[in-house]
Amino acid sequence: CISYKPFSLPEQLVGTDESQQQQLAEAILKEKKTFKINIHVATSLPLPAERDHIRPRIDLIAFMINMQSKHSLRNVEASLSHMDANFFLGKVCFLITGVGRMNHCSVEMNAVRKLGNLYCSPVLFCELDSEGIRVATAQRLLRMLQICAGHMPGVSALFFSSLMKSSIDE
Amino acid sequence: PLACHAFSSSSAMSSLLLPGAEKLAKHVSSYQHDLAPTITSNIVCSIDAKEELLDECEEIWRQMEEVCISLLSLLMMRVKALTAEYNQWQKRSPEIDHDLEMVLSTVQSKNKKLKEDMKREQQWLDEQQQLVDALDVTHEEMKNQVVQFSEKRALQELKSKMLKIRAYKEELLSALGEFLEEHFPLLEEDESAKKKKKSPAEEPTVQLVTLHEILERLINKLMSTPHEPYLTINDSFWPPYVELLLRYGIALRHPEDPNRIRLEAFHQ
Repeated sequence: CISYKPFSLPEQLVGTDESQQQQLAEAILKEKKTFKINIHVATSLPLPAERDHIRPRIDLIAFMINMQSKHSLRNVEASLSHMDANFFLGKVCFLITGVGRMNHCSVEMNAVRKLGNLYCSPVLFCELDSEGIRVATAQRLLRMLQICAGHMPGVSALFFSSLMKSSIDE
Repeated sequence: PLACHAFSSSSAMSSLLLPGAEKLAKHVSSYQHDLAPTITSNIVCSIDAKEELLDECEEIWRQMEEVCISLLSLLMMRVKALTAEYNQWQKRSPEIDHDLEMVLSTVQSKNKKLKEDMKREQQWLDEQQQLVDALDVTHEEMKNQVVQFSEKRALQELKSKMLKIRAYKEELLSALGEFLEEHFPLLEEDESAKKKKKSPAEEPTVQLVTLHEILERLINKLMSTPHEPYLTINDSFWPPYVELLLRYGIALRHPEDPNRIRLEAFHQ
């Protein structure tokens, strides 16, 4: 059973499009939940070292890549190299936006999938300009966050990410 | 703290792997509330078995020195971590497994039984349906037969009735004709004509008709125009015959006109 502790579950959104990040963060915060969450938004990693000591434990990192911007992909790739390997045991996911306008994409779908495979992390596709999809994505992220923070008995972050991964590969 | 794990290629894999795995397991456990704090090296396979594989790994890792995290290392980490989790689960829930197995087997057997029951019921239903269909068909056939049969019979009955009546009618008419001819023949003109011829100045004689003829005319008039059954007496009717018919109630006079008579309605 879920413990109703006043835990704050930190989530980190990393991406170049700040307005989209803000919108998504707000959508996540709007969702009904029984626990507190913290969302930290950043454009790139590593996070500034000065605040390391007061930073709470991070449960989920979502890297946002915009299909219309090669720069966003490169930025994420660069950030990934600064990551502690342990995060890739289920605490990372890639959030791909801009899939609604496939003819304007400068990032190839293959590149994105390869990234997901290379880092053994799930890839979620969304179109954040549409409110309905934004809300749905927020719900999914929230669910993932619950699992990554260990709030779902019997489902670990690693187990969950393995499940997600195998379904994508199919 | 965020740090870069540099997997240097120079050190021997075995010495790196074991402590590495333990360290990883500890990291993993610190993120998972439910896992035990320490995971022993039981989970790691024996070094001997892995020697070959590790040599290969070393070669690959040498090639990917600049990359902090390689897919291979990541996968190996994940394998280790998943194995650790799996073992944890095994330890924690053998009883639950047992119960689940029992539940599963009972549910399965119930399922099987239900399927068999359903199959039997379905068969029974099919048989009943067949029966109903067959009965329906027979019923339809019989209905048709009955209808046809009764119609035919009614027709035939009517036909035969008509024939009988017609024959009877003919009989009656011929009997009547015979009777009338015998007892009320056509009068010879001799007697009345003789008397009349004595006075040639009088009107010429009219051809008289038989009683049969008079009766026929009366009958026909009544039957053909029942609303107007009266016949006007004309000279061809021998007056004594008319009187005869009237006296015996066979014919009736018109209440207002003595020259008109009708047949009595014996059939009403």
